[in-house]
Amino acid sequence: MHTFILERPRDLAAALAFHAQAGRNDAPAEYIAGGTDMVQLLQEHVRRPERLVSLAGLLDGHIEAGPQGLRLGAAATMADVAVHPAVVEQFPVISEALLNSASPQVRNQATMGGNLLQRTRCPYFRDVGYAACNKRSPGSGCSAIDGENRWHAVVGTSDDCIAANPSDLAVALVALEAGVELRGAGGQRFVPLIDFHRLPGNTPHIESVLEPGEVIAAITVPASSTARRSHYLKVRDRASFEFAVVSAAVALDMDGGRIRAARVALGGVGTKPWRVPKVEAALAGGSLDPAVLRRAAALAAEGAQGRGHNDFKIELMQRAIVRAIETAGARA
Amino acid sequence: MTPPDAGARQNAAIDGDAAVRFIVNGRPAAVAASPLTRLAQVLRDDLGLTGTKIGCDAGDCGACTVLLDGRQVCACLTPMGQVEGRSVETVEGLRQDGTLSKLQQAFLAHGAAQCGICTPGMLMSASDLLRRTARPSRAEVLDAIGGTLCRCTGYQKIIDAVLAAATSAGVDSPPVGQAVGARAIRVDGIAKVAGTESYGADAIPHDALWLRVVRSPHAHARFALGDLEAVRRAHPGLEQILTARDVPFNGFGIYPDIKDQPVLADGIVRYRGEAVLALVGTREVVMRLADEVLPIVWTMLPPITGVDEARAPGAALVQDDRPGNLLMEGGVRCGDVEAALANAEAVAEIAVETPFVEHAYIEPEAGWARRVGDRLEIHVTTQTPYMDRDEVASVMRLKPQQVRIVPTACGGGFGGKLDLSVQPLVALAAWRLGRPVACIYTRPESMAATTKRHPARIQARFAATVGERLTACDVDAVFDTGAYASWGPTVANRVPVHAMGPYRVPNMRSRGAAYFTHNPPSGAFRGFGVPQAAIAHEAAMDALAEQLGVDRLEFRHRNALRVGDRTATGQVLHHSAGLAACLEALRPRWRDSLRHVAAFNAQARKAATHRRRGIGIGCMWYGIGNTSMSNPSTMRVGLGRDGTLTLYNGAVDIGQGSNTIMIQIAADALGLPMAQFRLVAGDTDRTADAGKTSASRQTFVSGKAAELAGADLRRQILRLANAGTNAALALDAAVLTVSDGETVRRIDLAALAADPDGNVLVGKGTFDPPTTPLDADGQGVPYATYAFAAQTAEVEVDLELGTTKVLRIVAAHDVGRAINPMQVEGQIEGGIAQGLGLALMEEYLPGRTENLHDYLIPTAGDMPLIETILIEDGEPLGPSGAKGVGEPGLVPTAPAILGAIAHATGVRLTRVPVLPHRLRAALQAKPGDRP
Repeated sequence: MHTFILERPRDLAAALAFHAQAGRNDAPAEYIAGGTDMVQLLQEHVRRPERLVSLAGLLDGHIEAGPQGLRLGAAATMADVAVHPAVVEQFPVISEALLNSASPQVRNQATMGGNLLQRTRCPYFRDVGYAACNKRSPGSGCSAIDGENRWHAVVGTSDDCIAANPSDLAVALVALEAGVELRGAGGQRFVPLIDFHRLPGNTPHIESVLEPGEVIAAITVPASSTARRSHYLKVRDRASFEFAVVSAAVALDMDGGRIRAARVALGGVGTKPWRVPKVEAALAGGSLDPAVLRRAAALAAEGAQGRGHNDFKIELMQRAIVRAIETAGARA
Repeated sequence: MTPPDAGARQNAAIDGDAAVRFIVNGRPAAVAASPLTRLAQVLRDDLGLTGTKIGCDAGDCGACTVLLDGRQVCACLTPMGQVEGRSVETVEGLRQDGTLSKLQQAFLAHGAAQCGICTPGMLMSASDLLRRTARPSRAEVLDAIGGTLCRCTGYQKIIDAVLAAATSAGVDSPPVGQAVGARAIRVDGIAKVAGTESYGADAIPHDALWLRVVRSPHAHARFALGDLEAVRRAHPGLEQILTARDVPFNGFGIYPDIKDQPVLADGIVRYRGEAVLALVGTREVVMRLADEVLPIVWTMLPPITGVDEARAPGAALVQDDRPGNLLMEGGVRCGDVEAALANAEAVAEIAVETPFVEHAYIEPEAGWARRVGDRLEIHVTTQTPYMDRDEVASVMRLKPQQVRIVPTACGGGFGGKLDLSVQPLVALAAWRLGRPVACIYTRPESMAATTKRHPARIQARFAATVGERLTACDVDAVFDTGAYASWGPTVANRVPVHAMGPYRVPNMRSRGAAYFTHNPPSGAFRGFGVPQAAIAHEAAMDALAEQLGVDRLEFRHRNALRVGDRTATGQVLHHSAGLAACLEALRPRWRDSLRHVAAFNAQARKAATHRRRGIGIGCMWYGIGNTSMSNPSTMRVGLGRDGTLTLYNGAVDIGQGSNTIMIQIAADALGLPMAQFRLVAGDTDRTADAGKTSASRQTFVSGKAAELAGADLRRQILRLANAGTNAALALDAAVLTVSDGETVRRIDLAALAADPDGNVLVGKGTFDPPTTPLDADGQGVPYATYAFAAQTAEVEVDLELGTTKVLRIVAAHDVGRAINPMQVEGQIEGGIAQGLGLALMEEYLPGRTENLHDYLIPTAGDMPLIETILIEDGEPLGPSGAKGVGEPGLVPTAPAILGAIAHATGVRLTRVPVLPHRLRAALQAKPGDRP
C-alpha cells in the first residue's frame, strides 16, 4: 500500500475542511467511509491519495420513512436498508437491488454513500499493470475499447472510456427519481441522482459532480405512485456475489391492465446509472402486451454502441426491461 | 506485476500506531495498529488467532469472515479504525470450554469440512444467521453463506449441516471390524472445525525472513537487470535479491527428462506471471518495495497466444528446442476407422472448445524453509511431498536425503499443488541465508503464476450402425500447454485412451497433442484432460441417439463397457465395470424427469413464458493411477511400546479425506478400532513414499498399501501370540490382548524391544497397480482399474435472458466399494460443483481474471440439489474392492448440463462456459427460430 496520511477529524466540518474529493483519481485527498471498495483500491495501488480522510462516525446513518418518501443517511449500511420494513414494502426495487448486490459480509459494512461512489470493475482500471486507463491516469488511453470488453458499457460511452458503473443500488434509485443531499464547506445542496454521476466524455477520471470538500450526506427518495410496484432484475454470470451483466430497475403505476406511468433504468450497460425516458414515455398508457413492451424497450438501444465483446448487451438490456416490467406488472 | 501486499505490517498511515481497543471472543484486546491496518492481519499476526484464514485478501472469498458486533464481515476489508470499541468473534470463540458448538458438531457429522480452509469463515457466516434464526430455511442458508466460497464440497453438506445445527448430535466412531463402509467422521475433523488446523501460512516462525517474487507483467519479453546491489543497499532490511544466477540448477518439471521451467527466469520470460526475481528480507521491506524500483529493462516480444498460432507454419518457438512448439503427442489406434465410418448408419461430428480453468483453491500457495546443518526442511502446502523433495534437491544440487518436506494441512489442491511453487525459492533463500524464510502467494499471484486446466480444441467423429452399436470413433484433441511442460505429457497421453468414452468402440483413432504458447503453464487439474474430452464424446452420444431415434440413456446403456469387453487399447476388463449398473439406477428417475420436463415445457409454451426445462445425461470412465507407469505406495502401521498405534501415512490429504479412510482400512485389516489410531502424515523423514495425491489413486493404491500394512502387523501379532487367524485383538494402554477362542494372551508391549520410533512391531504394505506400457498404436494396459459413472442434470433455461439454472443432478458412481460413503458423496458433490463451473461460468483470461471476483467459481446458490447413488461393483485389486472417486465426480457433469441445455432449447453448445451471451448467440443462430 502506498504511504499516505490518514486524517480522523472530530466532526464533519473538520472533515470537509480537508477538501478531499471522492471518485477522482487525481485528487490528492479522498474520503473513506465503510471502506469495502477503498481498501481494495488502495491495496492494488489503483488509488494513491496523499491524504485519506475518515468519515467514520461523522455521517448520519438513519433510515427515515414518511409521507414524503424515504431518507437514507449516507452512513446507513446496505444490509440495514435492504431489510428495513418501509423499504421492503414501499420501495421493493431498492431492497431487491441491495440484496442482489455484493455479499452478506460486504452488505454489513458498505454504506449508501460509498455504494454510489464505488469505482468501476473495469479490469484495466483495477490493474495498474495496464498503463493505459484514462480513468486512472488521465490522458493515458483506454485499454478496454480494443480489449476484453464483455463487461463494459454500451451507452454513455466516449472514445476515452467505456467503463460501466457497477452499482445496483444507483440503478434502482435513478428509476425512483431519487436525489442526493450534498454537504460542503459552503453549505448544503441537493442534486437529482440522475445528474450526480458524470458522463466520461474526455474527463473519465471525474466521476461525479462532487466538489472538493463535499460529501454525500443523505439519499432522498420521493414517495411516488410507482415505487410500490417496482422490481429489480439482474442478469449475472453466477447466482450471488457478482456484478450485473445487465440489469433493469422498473417502477410502474398501473390502472388495471394499463400502465399509467413507468420508470425504467438500466445497470451494467451504462457509464453511469442509465435511465431511459423514451422507453418510459412509450410505455405510458400502454398495456403489458409483450409486443408492446418489446417495441417500447427497443427505444433503449438508441445511441447504444457495442465494442465487440459487449455487443450482446444491446439486445439483452431490452429483454431485461421487458421481463422486469412483466414481473412488476404481475404483482398485486 | 504483483503489487506489494498491503498485508505487510505497519502498512499505511504514518500518524502513529495508537492502541486500538476492542473485544475479541469476549475478552478485551489492545493492539498498536494504524486505523487502516486490517482486522485480518491483527487477528492472525498480533493475536495469533490463525483460525481466521486469508484466501484472497480482497473481500472476494469470505475465508476471513468474522462477526463484528454479531454481524458477518470480511476481516480483510475491515480497517482497525472501524473495530475500535466493538466486539469481534472468530472461529476460536465458537468452542466453549473445549466443547464444540452444535454447529461445529453438525459440520463434523455431515462431512461439511473437506480441506477445511473455508470452514472457519463458513462457520461464522452461518453463526450470524443462526443467532437470528435458530431454524432457518434453505433459502436463508443460501443467502447467509452466499459470500463465502468453498471449492471442495459443492456446498451440499455445508447447507445440510447448517440446517441441522439445532438438532445435531455427536457421531460415534465405528466399532472393530466395521470401519470400512462406515460414515466415519474425519480423523482430522475437529481441528478443521475448531480453527486450529495449521495450513501453509499458519505456523511461520516469528524470526522468518520474507520472500516476495517479482513477476513478469509481460507474456513474452527479454529483460536485462541493472544494479540490484544498489537497490539492496538502498533498502535496509532487504537481505538478498535472488536471480537466475543464484539457482544451482535452474530448471524443474514433472517429468524426469523435462526440467524446462526455470525457478527464476533467465533473461527471457515466456508467460505473464513468470518469476523473475525473489526479494528476501524483512516482511515490511519486501512487501512494500514496489516493482517499479527494480532495475529491470524489458524488451517486449510478440507472444504466441493460442494453439493456432503455435501450430502455424513458421511460427516462432516458445522454447528453442521444441520444433513446431509441440510438447508431446499420443494416440490410440485399433480396427479400421475409415471403413466403419463409410458403413455407418449415423455419424456425429463434434467440435469442442474449452478455456483455461483455474483451480481456485481457497488457500494460496504458502510455506517456509529452514536450513538444518547440511539439510533443508520445508514446511509447505502440497499434494506431493516426495516429488517436492526430489525436485528441490535437484534444483539445489543436493541429495534427496538432504531435503525434508513436512506438508502442512492443504487448503485444497485439485492438481494445482502438484507443481512446485514456493518450495525452491524459500529453500534457496534459507540455504543461502541460514535463516528461516517464508513465502505466501497473493491471490493474483497464485492465479497468474500457477498452472491451469489445459484449454482444449477437440474434433470428434463418432459412428453407429445397425442395432444402435457404436462402430467408430475418431478424435483429435489439441491442448494449449502454455509456456512450460508441467503435466502436458500426461494430458496428451491420458486423453487418447479415454477419448471414446466408457463405451465399446471396435474401431478407434485418437490423437492428443500439447503445444507450447506464451500462456500460463497448463498442468494437472482434476481429470487431466478427460473432462474436456467427455464434452465431445457425450455430445456425440446425444447426436447419434437423436439420429437413430433412440433414448439417450438407452443408447449409452447398450454401448456401455462391461466386464469381458475390450477397450480401445486392447485391455480386457475382467472386473468392476459398473456403468450399466449406474445407468440402470438412473433409469427410473430419468424417465420420470423426461415426463416432468415435457409437462413443464408444454405448460410454458401454453402460457407463452420463456422458461424451458431440459434433462441431460453424461457418462464417463476414468483410469485410476498413472498412465502405464509404475506408481507405488508404501504404508506402515506401528505398534508402540507405550501402546500407541500409528499409521505412517505419506498420502497427503488435500481435503478428500484420505487420512480418514487409510485409518478405516488399516483398522479393519488389523482388527482394532480406528479410534485407537494416531496419524503421522506426509513428513518425508517419517513416512514412506505413497506417491502423489493425484489421478484418483490414493484410495486404490495407498488404500491397498494400508490394508496390506494392517494385515502385516496383524500377522506379526498373531505369530507373536501364536494365535489363529480369527483371533480378536484388544489394545489397552501398553497391553495387547489376543483372544483366540478360549485362549487369551496378554502381551506387555513395554517389555518388548522398540525401534527408534518407539515401535515394537511395524506392519508394512506396498502396492503398485499392474499396468503395461502402451505400444506405438497405444495398445496395452494403461491402468489396473477404471471408475465408471453416469450423471443426469435437469436445468431451467431462460430463453430470453440466456441464463441457465441447474435444478437437480443425480449422480450414479461405480466406486468399487465406498470405504466412507459420506466422504465419497463429498467428493462427488464437490466434483459436480467444479463441473458446473466448467459448464457455466469458469473462464480464466490471463491478465484479466486474476482474482476471485472476476474469475467466478460457483457459490452456494448456484448449486442444484444433488442425489448420489453409489454402485459397488468391487475391484478385486483394491482395498475391500474400492477404486477411486476424486476426479470422476466432475467428468460427467458438464456434458450432462450441456445435454440438458440442448434438450431445453434445441441448441447444442460445445464451447464452454455457457455464459448468457453465448447461449443467446446460439439461440439466435438456430435456424428458423428466434425465441
